[in-house]
Amino acid sequence: MTTARTLSALALAAASLFALPAQALTVYSAGPGKLIETLAADFKAKTGVPVDVFQADTGKVMARLQAEATNPRADVVISASWDSAQDLDRRGMLVAHGSANAQKVAPQYRQPNYVAQGLSVLSIVWNTRSGTPRPADWNDLTAPAFKDKVTMPDPAQSGASLDLLSALQQRQSDKAWELFGRLKANGMVISGPNAQAMNPVLQGAKAAVFGAVDYVALGSQAKGESIEVIFPKSGTVVAPRPMMVLKSSKAQDDARRFIDFVLSPEGQARVADAYLIPARADAAARRTAIKDIQLLPEPQGNENYASRAALLHRFSTLFGRR
Amino acid sequence: MAAHRLRVGPSAIAAGTTAALLGLVALPLAFVLLQALFPGLAEGSLAAPLSHLRALLGDDALLELTLNTLRLGACVVLLSALIGIPLGAVRGLFRLPGAALWDLMFLIPFMIPPYIAALGWIMTLQPKGYAEQLLGLHAAPFLFSFPGVVFVMTLNVFPVVYFAVSRTLAGTGSRLADVGRVCGGGPWQCFFRITLPLALPAIAASLLLVFAMAIEEYGTPAALAAHAGFFVLVTGIERRFSDWPIDLPGASTLSVVLVLLAMLAFWLQRRLLGAQVFETTTGKPNDTARRALGRWQWPVTALFAGVALIATATPLAAIIVTACLKTLSGGLAPGNLGLGHFAAIFTEGEAALRALTTSAALGLGTAVVTGILGLLVAYCVVKTRMRGRVLLDALSVMPNTLPGIVVAVGLILAWNQPFWPATPYNSWLILLLAYCCLLIPYPVRYATAALAQIGDNMEAAARVHGASLLQMLLRILLPLLAPSLLASMLLVFAVASRELVASLLLAPTGIQTTSLFIWRQFEQGSVGQGMAMSVVTILMTTTLMVGVTAWQARR
Repeated sequence: MTTARTLSALALAAASLFALPAQALTVYSAGPGKLIETLAADFKAKTGVPVDVFQADTGKVMARLQAEATNPRADVVISASWDSAQDLDRRGMLVAHGSANAQKVAPQYRQPNYVAQGLSVLSIVWNTRSGTPRPADWNDLTAPAFKDKVTMPDPAQSGASLDLLSALQQRQSDKAWELFGRLKANGMVISGPNAQAMNPVLQGAKAAVFGAVDYVALGSQAKGESIEVIFPKSGTVVAPRPMMVLKSSKAQDDARRFIDFVLSPEGQARVADAYLIPARADAAARRTAIKDIQLLPEPQGNENYASRAALLHRFSTLFGRR
Repeated sequence: MAAHRLRVGPSAIAAGTTAALLGLVALPLAFVLLQALFPGLAEGSLAAPLSHLRALLGDDALLELTLNTLRLGACVVLLSALIGIPLGAVRGLFRLPGAALWDLMFLIPFMIPPYIAALGWIMTLQPKGYAEQLLGLHAAPFLFSFPGVVFVMTLNVFPVVYFAVSRTLAGTGSRLADVGRVCGGGPWQCFFRITLPLALPAIAASLLLVFAMAIEEYGTPAALAAHAGFFVLVTGIERRFSDWPIDLPGASTLSVVLVLLAMLAFWLQRRLLGAQVFETTTGKPNDTARRALGRWQWPVTALFAGVALIATATPLAAIIVTACLKTLSGGLAPGNLGLGHFAAIFTEGEAALRALTTSAALGLGTAVVTGILGLLVAYCVVKTRMRGRVLLDALSVMPNTLPGIVVAVGLILAWNQPFWPATPYNSWLILLLAYCCLLIPYPVRYATAALAQIGDNMEAAARVHGASLLQMLLRILLPLLAPSLLASMLLVFAVASRELVASLLLAPTGIQTTSLFIWRQFEQGSVGQGMAMSVVTILMTTTLMVGVTAWQARR
């Protein structure tokens, strides 16, 4: 009896020894590095499931997914571009996230197979010491005071910037292209991803960013940079950051638990700490809430819809990019 | 006891080296090539080969990108030669005041990641930049243009030429030129007809490296010339990799074009210099005493100081100043200075320290592996008559033309296949593989150039006296090659411990390097903290270099 008990105890110990590094959950995340690390640590503390994080920008996350396609590694993907989630879903690569907490997320920011982690808003970031008048709308950046003083993140490299371009084109059509034409004539430059467009504005070489991701700028502002984040009065665009579970995942239950955790009040508080707007309507934000921001009207039908490729091509041609 | 001592023959060395190089370089490259041929490769399909090529070849962007790349490479090579050859020749042949200091100053550009150096220049020369804050002038129109890219890039890479020329000339000494003088040649005549031709293999090899580095570099053209509408193959590749939907076949095809360009340069270099190798290390004592500069001493020193000031001190100062500014928008004001960003690195958890140790360990590992492989490849190429040695040589220079991101994708495609019983993918080993692949050209180039000048009779003498091949390699060739090999390994360490682009894509989950740490700080708008981490990294590598050099000099 005792021998049997000892043996089974030993077997259990041996089993736990091998099982101890519980099957880690692999999360690929674009966006604030500190946020995903804290979420991973919190999740492990709560469930005992370790989380391995790969963090890069949306392009790198997607390139890695694509290159790994024959032998996928990721369980959960968090992207900065809603569009990429739609596309992965169309290709049948996603399964339902099944998060109960997703019910608290506004309907436009959730789908059966993907749901927003948090929201960022496209804005004008203005250097308050630049000696230029405070811009209140997109159009103000075409004024002579802003001659050669505006940057814009490259929509080909910043998903959020593309969302803005796409929304402006869809809802204003020719007027949007007129606006870009005048910005170009006023010397606006297109520069890399978000951070590259922001740096010259921080130092004062440029006065404003057209269409910057707001949470990064709000973080810089909190650190004492003399910049202001302005939401244009004619309306702007929300860039939701989708989370999804890959169909190829071998740990789908843990993956679903992770997404549910990020959407829990605890997880959403972490999202708020990164100056993002929490996806859940009932979670408090540490910044201007979505209801206080003028958004561009929802499109009526798809008559002005242009494919990503066509949109980017037209934009790249206008600004002479290859 | 030692009767059955392990006998290693040249064929065993050649086979082992070839296998290592095939695994390290050819395998990931082959997958990139396959991806360029079969658009569905990443999904495991070989369907519709070449179906994407029509769109790509029909796009006139391809020709423009290729020509721009060539133009950029050629201009950087030319300017690097103009700066590197004269400075290197002076350093190698004459007693120069502060010689060790100038060597150090010209080594530092390697320890500054190119994208950080470019950012440093931007923050110095853009409107409201440090130059304008201090001196009231900016140079934005120059900086954000094609000449600006050539300028910044040349300052980063000309040391490759400087070190190759100075080390070679210091090694060959002036004995042969002295013979020329005795026979009646003038000093300039002897320099151009004897000394310089002796250094030609090293100059050509270093210029090839510079060309490869210039056409492979992403950060500088992207940050500086994009506004001016100047785009190159690398920016096109990067764009196809980061723009959703990701265009793996398109990016791979552009990468193949890039490799072909470099192979063209490689072929040209061999064609032009094939027969021109001179044995100057013959085993006879060399007179390597350097000459006095005489009345040229101070003008020449001033020239070195000027170049060091522009190439090293300016970007370095910009990086340090940025790290010390509390806010960027606050500018250079006494109240805005502080060491808070440095404190944050060491107090905010151990993430930064872990990143530092990871990078240092990876850099060291890469230096050791590429150093050994570099020596073996050089030996096979220069000293054996094995078939396919040109191929081995070509293979070892190829990675230098590959953008880091291409090597990264090749490694993922190659090593993330389900059929491998074990794979380095998603462990630190994959980063080591990536760095070794990217940096193997340095030790190979340096060792090949040095080995070509060592007379065969030294080897023969050793073998006649009964030394085994291994003994001969370790006791004769290695000591003779040690200075160049060590120099190239230090370079490898410096570059590997700050590599960004491949790391971005390949970083195993949970592993962070210093470059990733810095990049994440930038992404989150903390330029100051990113720069503080850069300063710490540069300081670390510089200390190591000075340490090794001092230790070497004492021996």
